[in-house]
Amino acid sequence: MTRTRLDDVDDALIVARAVDGDTAAFAVLVRRYAPMMRAHTRRLLGGTADVDDIVQETLVVAWQRLDELDDPAAVRPWLMRIVSRRAMDRIRATRMHLDVNEIDHEAPEETSPPRIVEARERAAALDDVLKELPEAQRQCWVLRELGGQSYEEIAEELSIPASTVRGLLARARKYIIVRMEQWR
Amino acid sequence: MAMTPDFDHEHLDGHTIQELSAYLDAGREPADPSIDDSPGCRLALDALERLHGLAPELLQADEEDLARVDDTWVAAVMAGIALDARAGRRIPYVSGVGDLAITEGAVRGLVRGAENRVPGVLVGRCRFEGDVSQPGAPVRVDVDISILYGRPVGETAAAVRAEILRDLQQHTDLAIIGVDVRVHDVHLLPTAERGE
Repeated sequence: MTRTRLDDVDDALIVARAVDGDTAAFAVLVRRYAPMMRAHTRRLLGGTADVDDIVQETLVVAWQRLDELDDPAAVRPWLMRIVSRRAMDRIRATRMHLDVNEIDHEAPEETSPPRIVEARERAAALDDVLKELPEAQRQCWVLRELGGQSYEEIAEELSIPASTVRGLLARARKYIIVRMEQWR
Repeated sequence: MAMTPDFDHEHLDGHTIQELSAYLDAGREPADPSIDDSPGCRLALDALERLHGLAPELLQADEEDLARVDDTWVAAVMAGIALDARAGRRIPYVSGVGDLAITEGAVRGLVRGAENRVPGVLVGRCRFEGDVSQPGAPVRVDVDISILYGRPVGETAAAVRAEILRDLQQHTDLAIIGVDVRVHDVHLLPTAERGE
């Protein structure tokens, strides 16, 4: 008789078990979502230093606070939100203020277009284009599109007005669209 | 390239890319006919929407990038978690010399053990209703289970219930007055293992 492995069942049951103290279930969550959390953190930070620290710390905190999660099936956005917050805290701790000049400066002009891509490689190309964006624009886009956060939440996270978030997001989107015009 | 819409002000019928970007995020609500009826705006919105559609692809790619999260990485996290954070209440043993107790978390582990003896079952959430810290106080067990598709539901739930009751009576001093097993979910085996 084949036994069902925890790795194969959905989040709701895994989270319920982890809340009850099942460390094996929590390890399943770690394996399932750490890659995504690492990628998200790397994009917010714009580099790889500290990424592992931040994600591992976040997961330790998540274990402690699992019972605060109202909807166990929504564990993915919950983890993304807390890792975002921790990443931004780290950025704030290492640099006191968001560089105000940077908000206005445009992304560097690139002459070489991103590789012409097919379905699967589009993601990699988008990832490359994101690296070209000025930090604040990149963070707004990542928090909005990948973290699913509202303008108000992003504003709070970045300590800037929501109207600035709107502007940065629009500029980021415009830049990405222009850079990825070979989509199809 | 004609694919890229013209983001200049004059082609957006007086609107800005910032307005369009926010309009899209608001789910195009409330509807603005001066945007919806403008061909220039519609081109720009289409491009913004295609970009929005790429985010899930990126997340998907992230999820598949398992390479850097190996066993050592997972072990580092697991070593850092505080076991007592999820231990729950303290459940005393009545008999015995001195002060002996087991944690609620450990008893839940015992309850989950039923899945190893009843085929096609996974135990989910487990609750003890009643004052477990008080010896002799009546306690009701409430358990969610997930059953493998195709298994007889009533029979399986009854078997789980019997296992749990036996284990708790054997390994704890809890005064169990009932075990409620709720079939919360039905699961499938991963495709590769089906039909074995």
